[in-house]
Amino acid sequence: MLDIIVCFKWVVDEAFIRRTSSGDLDFSSVDYKISEYDRNAIEAAVRLREECGGSVTAVTVGPPEAAKGVKDALSRGPDRAVFAEDPLFGGLDPSQTAAVLGQVISSKTPFNLIICGEGSGDVYSQQTGPRLAEFLGIPCAAYVQKLTVKEGRVTAERKVEGFIEVDSLPLPALVTVLPDIATPRIPGVKDTLMASKKAVIKVGKNELTAVPPPLLKTKSVRAARVERECEKFTAEVEDIKRFVAALQKRGVLK
Amino acid sequence: MNFQLTEEQELIRKNIREFAAKYVEPIAAEIDENERHPTELFKKLAEGGWMGIPIPTQYGGSGADYLTNAIVVEEISRSCSSTGFTVSIHVGIACMLILLFGNEEQKKKYLVPLAKGEHMGAFVLTEPGAGTDVMAATTTAAKDGDFYVLNGTKTFISNGPLADTYLVFCWTDKAAGRKGMSSFIIPRGTPGLIPGEHFHKMGLRSSQTSEVVFKDCRVHKDNLLGKEGAGLTNAMTGFDHGRVGIAAQSVGILQAALDESIRYSKERVQMGNPIARHQAISWMIADMATDLEAARFLTYHAAWLKDQGKPFSKEASMAKLFAAEKAMHHTIKAVQIHGGYGYIKGAKVERLMRDAKITEIYEGTSEAQRMVISGNVLR
Repeated sequence: MLDIIVCFKWVVDEAFIRRTSSGDLDFSSVDYKISEYDRNAIEAAVRLREECGGSVTAVTVGPPEAAKGVKDALSRGPDRAVFAEDPLFGGLDPSQTAAVLGQVISSKTPFNLIICGEGSGDVYSQQTGPRLAEFLGIPCAAYVQKLTVKEGRVTAERKVEGFIEVDSLPLPALVTVLPDIATPRIPGVKDTLMASKKAVIKVGKNELTAVPPPLLKTKSVRAARVERECEKFTAEVEDIKRFVAALQKRGVLK
Repeated sequence: MNFQLTEEQELIRKNIREFAAKYVEPIAAEIDENERHPTELFKKLAEGGWMGIPIPTQYGGSGADYLTNAIVVEEISRSCSSTGFTVSIHVGIACMLILLFGNEEQKKKYLVPLAKGEHMGAFVLTEPGAGTDVMAATTTAAKDGDFYVLNGTKTFISNGPLADTYLVFCWTDKAAGRKGMSSFIIPRGTPGLIPGEHFHKMGLRSSQTSEVVFKDCRVHKDNLLGKEGAGLTNAMTGFDHGRVGIAAQSVGILQAALDESIRYSKERVQMGNPIARHQAISWMIADMATDLEAARFLTYHAAWLKDQGKPFSKEASMAKLFAAEKAMHHTIKAVQIHGGYGYIKGAKVERLMRDAKITEIYEGTSEAQRMVISGNVLR
């Protein structure tokens, strides 16, 4: 039996972000979604429960609007949710998010395993998972693409640049997972309707000890500019040579 | 006044959009070209509970409301109008009529597999000489003890070649006029029920359409849907529900036309600028977006009235009339925006334009809708 916690973040759906003529980002008509990586993490947690038995609790920190995200998460299979909710929780930095998650988890939810996405779909700092493990004083493996749990230990296959590392961690432990871990399901109609009937434990800011000040301040966000070049080549030998040279010059070919 | 969908409705919209993008959009052109009913897709739709959305769970459905069903038909139609329509007629007419007028036994026997999506339903009313003029139908059901014997030819029956459950409307007493028509639930395989070959259509090509012929087809009186003589009322109720579905399908087509027009007009450069910056094009898109919004509100309002248990016949006709005519009008514009590229097979707008036409014809032509609406407002 495995009590799994899966953390998720309700983020801006980037498809709705508009770029103004001055290069600023316009968030005025955005919609929100569960961070892509976290959807895979939720699926991994639910499949692991199906394999090992036990429970899945989805945990999130966010503003009241994230309530829809809680329902979305629950429609994907977790048994219950814990929602740390405050209007100020929309703009926390990773250290603050980890601190809030840590307090909520240690006071509200017994667990053997915590699963987080490798990073969030909005700022993708990839810090929250490892910081949360640090806060709770448990071992952590990041960038995991395959998970097995056996006899009180989790075996985590980590994909790191150029090679695959296999780690064995004693439970309780935390892993951050890559999207390859599991392809998320598309919830059916009943899954969505049933989500409203599952338990959601709400935790207010006043139930937590003080949220630490941010370590990171975002000063501005601007649209990236991609410079494009356009040059035409024909299939003539001379042009092919020129084409190869052009690619070499720009470092595309070595 | 509250224009906000519920969180569940919004999430379900997101989910069906993702489903449609993943499973429907990639095959839409192929099933149109080959006039193929995508069995594998309908199996997936059944698994997700998309084939019985507004049917209570005790009858195999998903237990959501009719507005949710309209949203789902809209989103599927945005990717493939044929698929959206097949869901619409299956749920909106076949399932709904058994839910509303079937007895408990019929619901268990016929509605459960329909709402689960294991069976497909068909609405069998139209005849070669009886379209808008339903009273001109000639198919009869002659009483013979505990049985009825059906004879006649029905045509333009959606799901005709493949349905498992046919809801059939015919005369049990022609002399009784409007009270002389009855409706029957007849399962596929009943001797004398002969589904025809698929018709080749201009649009909506993967939706399977055929004749259904009845030749001394004996059905037990237990197969009567509702009371003898209630057929015409049942059919009209079916139309009310079905029209919300066709309106939703048309809204989906309109949204797809707008999506394609926006995308293409931003990419296509003529005279040094993307054509979206040319007023001739941008105003077409403005009109398209405005009519889409109006059609959507009419449709959702009709579905909402149904969910509130209020009369919605007039509103369903208004939504269907407006959405269908706007879908036709604006898919023509969408092809115009695409120019020559929009006239080539494989361009989505080409399919949208062909698919749009039927929405002005079936489940009551635009003219029939105007009869319903004028009859209501001039009362």
